[in-house]
Amino acid sequence: MTLWFLRGLHRGVVTTRYPARPDGSAADLPTPPVFRPEALDSELADRLVAVCPSHALRRDADILVFDVGACTACGRCQETAGSAVSPSGEFALAATSRGHLVKRIPLRREART
Amino acid sequence: MTAVQPGAPGTIASLIGAISGATLDGTGNAVTVNVPAAELEAAVHHLAASGGRLADLFGSGQDPAVLHLVWALDAERQYLIVQSDVAGDEYPPLSDIAPAAFAEECEIYEQFGIRPATGKPLNRVALPPHAGPDFPRLGHQPRPAPAEIHAPHTVGGHAFEFPFGPVRQVGMESLYYGLVTSGEEIVDLYLFTWHKHRGLEWRLRGRTPREGLFHVERTEGLSAIALSWACAAAVEAALDVAPPPAAQRTRAVALEMERLYNHAAATAGLCQATGLTVGQSAAEIALERLLRLNAAVFGHRYLFGVMDAGGVRRAPDEAVLRAGLPGAHGELRRAADALLSTNSFLDRLEAAGIVTGEQARRLGLVGPVARAAGLTIDTRLDQPAQPYVEHPPAVAVRDSGDVLARFQVMQDEAAESVRLIGDLLDAGAGTGTATLPGAAGSGLGWAESSRGEALAWVALNAEGRITRARLRPASVRNWRGFDDACRSQNVFTDIPIIEASFWLTVAGTAR
Amino acid sequence: MTKSNPPIPVQQSAAATLPPDTASGACGEQATAELLRQRIASQFGRSLHIRTLDTGSCAACEQEIRLLAAPHYDLHRLGFFFTPAPRHADLLMVTGPMIRAFDVAARKTYDAMPGPKIVVATGACALGGVYQPDAFVHGSVGDILPVDVWLPGCPPSPLALLQGLLVAVDRLAGKVSSLSFTSDDQPGEVRQ
Repeated sequence: MTLWFLRGLHRGVVTTRYPARPDGSAADLPTPPVFRPEALDSELADRLVAVCPSHALRRDADILVFDVGACTACGRCQETAGSAVSPSGEFALAATSRGHLVKRIPLRREART
Repeated sequence: MTAVQPGAPGTIASLIGAISGATLDGTGNAVTVNVPAAELEAAVHHLAASGGRLADLFGSGQDPAVLHLVWALDAERQYLIVQSDVAGDEYPPLSDIAPAAFAEECEIYEQFGIRPATGKPLNRVALPPHAGPDFPRLGHQPRPAPAEIHAPHTVGGHAFEFPFGPVRQVGMESLYYGLVTSGEEIVDLYLFTWHKHRGLEWRLRGRTPREGLFHVERTEGLSAIALSWACAAAVEAALDVAPPPAAQRTRAVALEMERLYNHAAATAGLCQATGLTVGQSAAEIALERLLRLNAAVFGHRYLFGVMDAGGVRRAPDEAVLRAGLPGAHGELRRAADALLSTNSFLDRLEAAGIVTGEQARRLGLVGPVARAAGLTIDTRLDQPAQPYVEHPPAVAVRDSGDVLARFQVMQDEAAESVRLIGDLLDAGAGTGTATLPGAAGSGLGWAESSRGEALAWVALNAEGRITRARLRPASVRNWRGFDDACRSQNVFTDIPIIEASFWLTVAGTAR
Repeated sequence: MTKSNPPIPVQQSAAATLPPDTASGACGEQATAELLRQRIASQFGRSLHIRTLDTGSCAACEQEIRLLAAPHYDLHRLGFFFTPAPRHADLLMVTGPMIRAFDVAARKTYDAMPGPKIVVATGACALGGVYQPDAFVHGSVGDILPVDVWLPGCPPSPLALLQGLLVAVDRLAGKVSSLSFTSDDQPGEVRQ
């Protein structure tokens, strides 16, 4: 056991300080998207709904309903929408109510018909 | 259907020529042969006798259903698919390929209602007990219904049957063991996985390849790259496109990284099973470093989202990978070296869970389990596809077939993966996706996952949507070797050790 | 951790059925749930035993959960422990889309846990993502079990799992309810 003991001492402590301190490794984690409402028109919203493989996006009249709980952070919506969608950087997403994970995002109002 | 074409490799052509009634079908990387049902039995005899390895057996279609046999002719570096229309409910007995294909025959029966004409009862394997006539199937409902087995072997003498699971150790997938024991020794062991059957093959029908890959990755998350590569390659073979070379190298970089973290996880699992907590911690440090490297290099700890139909969606962050890989692998190597000097660890591994070369061959086992039993099979060498043609790996083989041999094979493979990644990065790993034409076709794809040969066969219709996707992760093959490995001179406490040395998943088998 | 008679009434979890004359709508439900969670947090004190339950995952969630006990994360330092026995467990971590063939086993595992107990639905599959309800799966763990904490991710990383566990025992406030997932930044601006 001396071998293992010495190796352990030499290795040192790798344990995260989270949640007392943030953990740097979180920066590399895939995260659900944020949407820019003024870039989301109806047609783009429909394309996003169609491209999401996890049914995390749906339309409700002129609202884009985003279910963070169903989101797998796969990035397909970001690939489709370019600058209208970007990573949120939020990985700490646990919620005590399912409704807290369903976000209603207003679409851009068409200035012209 | 055309006559045998002069372009087919010589030995294959003569093999096919020896199968009366065979006609060649389609293009691509696998040779597909249509054989009339009346000639199927003779064809199987011929292929088995000539040293072919039956890699998979599956069905498709209905009215008529079609039987597909995928033979790996490793000496000729070729896959050969034998297809046969099955009119009615029965196809000729293919006894040469039993027992390796018994589980597949059962699966075909419960999905398509067709069975070999031997009259022997077939078990329900993948579908749950409540699966009635309306339960989603790929073909016709079987009549009569498959048998419900509780003890496939007689429990005689002082042995009793002990059901364990499906809810079992913390942090392990659900799995039902039927243990037949006389107290401590394992007389027999059978597994049920139907409680994890999500119907992936059924789900993929009607999807585009791109949509499908999202689900293929999540069939067996720990083999996301291997299985999605096999599926993407099957689509590319069906449509006769090739990904750009830089994308092919990216695929291999990702696959080797997947192999690395799985082998680290298996090492940690072995330490946990043998009660060596300190070794487990050391291996887990290596595993966590590798997973963080995956996230930094490819954007996901389990490499989801890398594969695309026709290429790859992401390129590796080369600088981060080169900087981080030696340290992460070094952790694993030091842990493994220390373990190989720890007698309390080695004593538990030696002569435990032996799978002989003959058993591995008979059951069609693949991957480190087969290589540890002396079989030199590795699709990266046997069925070379880019980029492994230009970057062939050295294959790690041992012959004692026990847990220790599997452990050593995994460590050798991990070192080889690091070397391969370096070579692939030197040659240039980038993104890129070939355009997929909208056309019908079918094709076979494969990849050497950390668990062994992963196969996929995809049929597309003229709109480019999947009509049939067959997914055969290595777990589907290798669990049948687990029963054999656990029997004979092994006791209860050896089961977790043997399971860790196989490092399969239930999700991959149950799909 | 031994289970003495809990002083609170035998309500299975914070999401159990409400008394019929509860204050109107969501507010009343929140208040009851919040109250019960706080009482659970004080009841459990500083340690909590976790039982995992796989209802059909792809195995990636399980790998992340196993890493909670690994040196980088070490859930023991926070007072969490894994236990194989539902009888000893306080918290049930459920992965997978609740395959219908698994219903009975899931229910039995949950029923074997003495109250008070917490259910954490873990991963996108368990929350209703990836798989839509069909003949194979329910799609959401919430169809069969009363869920107290919903933990997104595919798979949720060990850091996310830790946050979820701490939210489950009320030691961390969940922040996702206050996030809008919208951005007013112009493209090219650096996000905070």
